[in-house]
Amino acid sequence: MMKYSNAWHLRDIILLTLIAIFFGVIYWVVGPVYNILTVALTPVGLGPAANDILMGVWVMAGPLAGYLFKKIGSATLGEFLGAVVEMFLGGQWGASTMISGVVQGIASELGFAFTGYKRYDWFSLNLSVLTTTIVTFGWDMIRNGYAQYHVGLLIALFVIRLVSTWIFAGVLVKAIVKLLDRTHLMETRTR
Amino acid sequence: MNPSLKFLLAVLIALEISFTSVWTVNLALALMGLVIILFSRPKLKRLVLLFFVPLIPAIALAVAILLQSNAGMHFALVLFTRIYAYVFVGSAATLTTSISDLVMSLEQNAHVPSKFAYGFLGAFNLLPKIVSEVNIIRAAGNMRGQALHFWSPQLYFKAILASLDWSENLAEAITSHGFSEGAPRTYFKQIRVRWWDWLILFGSLAALQFVLFGLHLQ
Repeated sequence: MMKYSNAWHLRDIILLTLIAIFFGVIYWVVGPVYNILTVALTPVGLGPAANDILMGVWVMAGPLAGYLFKKIGSATLGEFLGAVVEMFLGGQWGASTMISGVVQGIASELGFAFTGYKRYDWFSLNLSVLTTTIVTFGWDMIRNGYAQYHVGLLIALFVIRLVSTWIFAGVLVKAIVKLLDRTHLMETRTR
Repeated sequence: MNPSLKFLLAVLIALEISFTSVWTVNLALALMGLVIILFSRPKLKRLVLLFFVPLIPAIALAVAILLQSNAGMHFALVLFTRIYAYVFVGSAATLTTSISDLVMSLEQNAHVPSKFAYGFLGAFNLLPKIVSEVNIIRAAGNMRGQALHFWSPQLYFKAILASLDWSENLAEAITSHGFSEGAPRTYFKQIRVRWWDWLILFGSLAALQFVLFGLHLQ
């Protein structure tokens, strides 16, 4: 088992922030997709489902940062910074974006924390997907009033969110990490 | 107002209205946010966007409550006004603060380690470059007949490679300018927390508690 350093150095901080900004910009690019989906689904009262369908995209920065940096707090910080960037770009959720960033960050961090920050593999990534789905769903039950929906819809939204998070924060993050591992660029930096 | 305390206040307000359901308070917060936004003299385009962009999720949430739950009109109104309160309070903070002031205040007042402060600042200054880099990556993909979407690992991979490169250069540049991690620093621009900053923070929060719980508005 490799031992990972937990200290943050200037270039790690810059790298993490740059990655978070890249994600923030990419979230911004995704914005119109969210709007079109929401407008299309609103007449049948399923507008919030757009949020769950795209959830995986908003929560990618956390697990990716956690996986790349292998430090305590990296997932939370990565996700939070992504949210701050989105807010400064003029995101749709205003001040609550910062809270969502912290909630999503801690949510994905939990997956790595449960393995004691020792395992960085498919298992811990999946665990992170699960904790992210549960915690962010809990937050939306409060913030977006999901708690008021009929049980059937609530279950459907949860399943949609789980699948979305798994595809983006699980499968896609794994694919990105796999590409990066082949370059061996991260190894010299994080260990 | 002091930038750190301003953002703290915005987050605390957003947090509190997430857990309470008084639409008149949401509306009042949105209006106060709007007044502050107007004082910052935003561009007309920005202002129009501020009104229309939150409209989509706000309507979506309100309609969903009316059609898919028994919570009724009142709660739909709460969710609708809540989104506008979030956005206007948030924009009141972001539009009146520059990133560098916020970062400097976080370093000097909130005692965030200076390596984080300068790391964030350096990276944030690359924002325009990052936007153009995303476009370059996508254009390069298109030229080779490879469309890169937000679900393509290649897009993120190339973005991270660029970040690796830039972070190395930027960290070296900052170090070359005499920055050393953990060393004590003096500040060219001092940002202070004044008594009226605390007064605004606690005064606003106290007023919010009063209207939320003291007036029994529904």
